[in-house]
Amino acid sequence: MEANPDRQRPERADLTRRIVDLVDDDTILVSGIGNATFDLRALAGDRPLNFYMLGSMGQAISIGFGLAIAQPDRSVVVMEGEGSVLLNLSALATIGMVAPPNLTLVIWDNEQWQITGGQALSTATTCDLSAVARGCGIENGATPTTVAEFEQAVRFAVDAPGPHTIVTKIAPTPGMTPQRDDPVSIKLNFMHALGIQPD
Amino acid sequence: MVSTSQRTWQESIVDALKANDIHLVCHVSDSVLAPIVRNLESDPEFNVVTLTREEEGVGTLTGAYLGGVRGALLLQSSGFGNILNALGSLAIPYQIPFPILLSARGGFLEHNVVQVAWGKAVPETVESLGMQYFSMAREDEVPFVARQGIHHAFVSRRPTVIGIETQLSGGKRGS
Repeated sequence: MEANPDRQRPERADLTRRIVDLVDDDTILVSGIGNATFDLRALAGDRPLNFYMLGSMGQAISIGFGLAIAQPDRSVVVMEGEGSVLLNLSALATIGMVAPPNLTLVIWDNEQWQITGGQALSTATTCDLSAVARGCGIENGATPTTVAEFEQAVRFAVDAPGPHTIVTKIAPTPGMTPQRDDPVSIKLNFMHALGIQPD
Repeated sequence: MVSTSQRTWQESIVDALKANDIHLVCHVSDSVLAPIVRNLESDPEFNVVTLTREEEGVGTLTGAYLGGVRGALLLQSSGFGNILNALGSLAIPYQIPFPILLSARGGFLEHNVVQVAWGKAVPETVESLGMQYFSMAREDEVPFVARQGIHHAFVSRRPTVIGIETQLSGGKRGS
């Protein structure tokens, strides 16, 4: 079955740009495989504290979790698609249990596997990811439906102790420019920006 | 090689983690690993995270390493099957080092036929990914192999598996 979500919803690229504008330079941004990474890279590729995941579908929220543990004085914001979160739902249970206060999960929900042809996902009909996260113990959950509500949710999440989820229904707009940076360069640039010497 | 220490092999593994500056340990349930995990949980040098599923550990340890904290993943053979894509498309291509301490199943002392096929395939799968599998089958080799096997992950800039064989651990008890 193909998904047919509302095209009037906010667009991922617009909301991604607003995250970049709202957070300070010390905030770590992590983007998941596919469109989340394509949009962040296209809009803010020169931002040093961006980490782009290229494969390992589902792992972006766990990468953000590890970063939140290792960098407790920084805010960590993960941008990830709903299909990827559904693939790694167990991580929500772990994050809820450990509850790193500096972690925010922004979940883009266009109700489909967009990049593989728009196959409908359970969030189009039955699955409420915000309720799942709350059920896992991540009690701060926003479900903004407008750009203004989204900006308000991001401001709250980076200021107030978390963890937080922001589950946002978005329009099925394709991702921006696909990128295939060298993964070792992504790692080295990111660690350099944090002032950490890799092995 | 003969150990000069009176430490148990489980304590030697903890020593090896400390010697390699490991501070975050992610694990999924295993009866062989349980005493090691209890030891780590009572030690303020370690932050111990109980995962829900093993694959999360690859992402979590990647994030921790990027943020300047070295970690280790403790799991059973079967759990190693749950992390393969994350190894192949995250930890290996991004050159993220961490040791995987693996409680082996399926060989000597095994009592459950369903553990056999994957247990045999684990070392071959590790090798096929271009990673090292270091085996610990005797107590006297644990201090050296654990310490150097963990160190090898950081030298080779990729995950490295240190196998706790059933000859050493006594295997999983029960029916």
